[in-house]
Amino acid sequence: MTGKRTVVPFGPQHPVLPEPIHLDLVIEDEHVVEAIPSIGYVHRGLESLVDRREYADFVYLAERICGICSFTHSSTFCQGVEGLMGIEIPERANYLRTMWGEYSRIHSHLLWLGLFADALGFESLFYNAWKIRESILNELEATTGGRVIQGVCKVGGVRRDVTNEFLSGMDKRLEGIEAEMQEMVNVFLNDYTMKKRLIGKGILKPEDAYNLGAVGPVARGSGLAQDVRTSEYLAYQDIGFKPVTANGCDGYARCEVRCKELFQSAEIIHKVIAAMPDGEVAVPVKGNPDGEYFSRSEQPRGEVIHYLRGNGTKYLTQFRVRTPTLTNVPSLVAMLAGAELADVPQIVLTIDPCIGCMER
Amino acid sequence: MTMQIIPASPAGIEKIAADMKAEGRRLVVITCTAAAEEYDITYSFDKENDLVHYRLTVPEGTVIPSIGASYGGAFVYENEIHDLYGFTFTGMTLDFGGTFIRTKIQYPFKKEKPAPTVTKVTKEGAS
Repeated sequence: MTGKRTVVPFGPQHPVLPEPIHLDLVIEDEHVVEAIPSIGYVHRGLESLVDRREYADFVYLAERICGICSFTHSSTFCQGVEGLMGIEIPERANYLRTMWGEYSRIHSHLLWLGLFADALGFESLFYNAWKIRESILNELEATTGGRVIQGVCKVGGVRRDVTNEFLSGMDKRLEGIEAEMQEMVNVFLNDYTMKKRLIGKGILKPEDAYNLGAVGPVARGSGLAQDVRTSEYLAYQDIGFKPVTANGCDGYARCEVRCKELFQSAEIIHKVIAAMPDGEVAVPVKGNPDGEYFSRSEQPRGEVIHYLRGNGTKYLTQFRVRTPTLTNVPSLVAMLAGAELADVPQIVLTIDPCIGCMER
Repeated sequence: MTMQIIPASPAGIEKIAADMKAEGRRLVVITCTAAAEEYDITYSFDKENDLVHYRLTVPEGTVIPSIGASYGGAFVYENEIHDLYGFTFTGMTLDFGGTFIRTKIQYPFKKEKPAPTVTKVTKEGAS
């Protein structure tokens, strides 16, 4: 070590970053001593529009907070308004929301796996991950009408039903998708280069993960069984749920969690389809929200919080969102301290950053 | 439906955070929202899906102690609240000095000053 420190700017534009974030990397020789993040390149101020759109219409805006976990944003917002108004949605709507939420998780994880393979120069693996993702998007499109922005959630339930016959077909097609995912996951978890680039990189100890507020696969890759799906929301309590964890505390463990969650989500979808209750998919909504509510859900990247406040009119007065990427930033800073400069891009990617979502 | 929120004061927030940490709770979020006259800053802590909220109701410009000594990750919320609402947090573990969220308008979520409702007309102007 020469003891001489240099600041290397990383981002906001970088080949591995689909969205802009800036890190000032303080390095000593090739070692990162400190990483200082800054954001704000895509801040849209979406939350401030809440008092200018009726709460029922704001679902469309909430869905557009993120282009990847769009469905979970809309369902979390609706869940918040329903909590404020004391609305109980039909069981079938709950099950459908669970099913679409898990399809969204599979598509998000496949997107990340593809981007990660691409960042390492593993082009065929990238194509393969995104090819499988197409099959998932096809199912979302067939059942909701939208591939990425579904527009299917509404306050009081969901806009569309899916026939039981079509659900049986989805169940069978999912088995084929699982077989394809298994082949792909074998490469991610067993390939020599993948292991070399991930094992022992971006260490986040369990106590650091907890104290720094890590969520989602970042926390679960450090052995914390922390997942909002263990709480009473949607259909998770009915069908049973146990979080996937890995104890490696490194980039490989975070990748392993996402790979295993692909199959866990598929299993949840099978169970949801098998137990799908009959009946209505929405209830009529009367009145306006009054009071305040913290609504939370488990997005593909971890716990998301929607805070809503209403005053009895059709316009909410306050809306704030805490996304998983924001709360994973302190963990990222901890992971980067002590890392090799050449490992920074893939360590940043292992938190699956979603900057548009983080900045709203 | 109303959530149970416990009122707190800026002077006591560090102690509350230390107690929450000792109980094994994680910091979920610090949420700042504009209330009727003042601002609500709500600290949410979780343990095994049991969410607890503490709230400061403070006027614009209040200096608030950071809870970074108990929760190192609090700096993202404290810097965000500073950059969007203009509150100052003392003793943050990482202080960006207003550059964490680079917005074109300074403190964009700060309450707008009400437009004047009375137009004063001077004697000279009236004649």
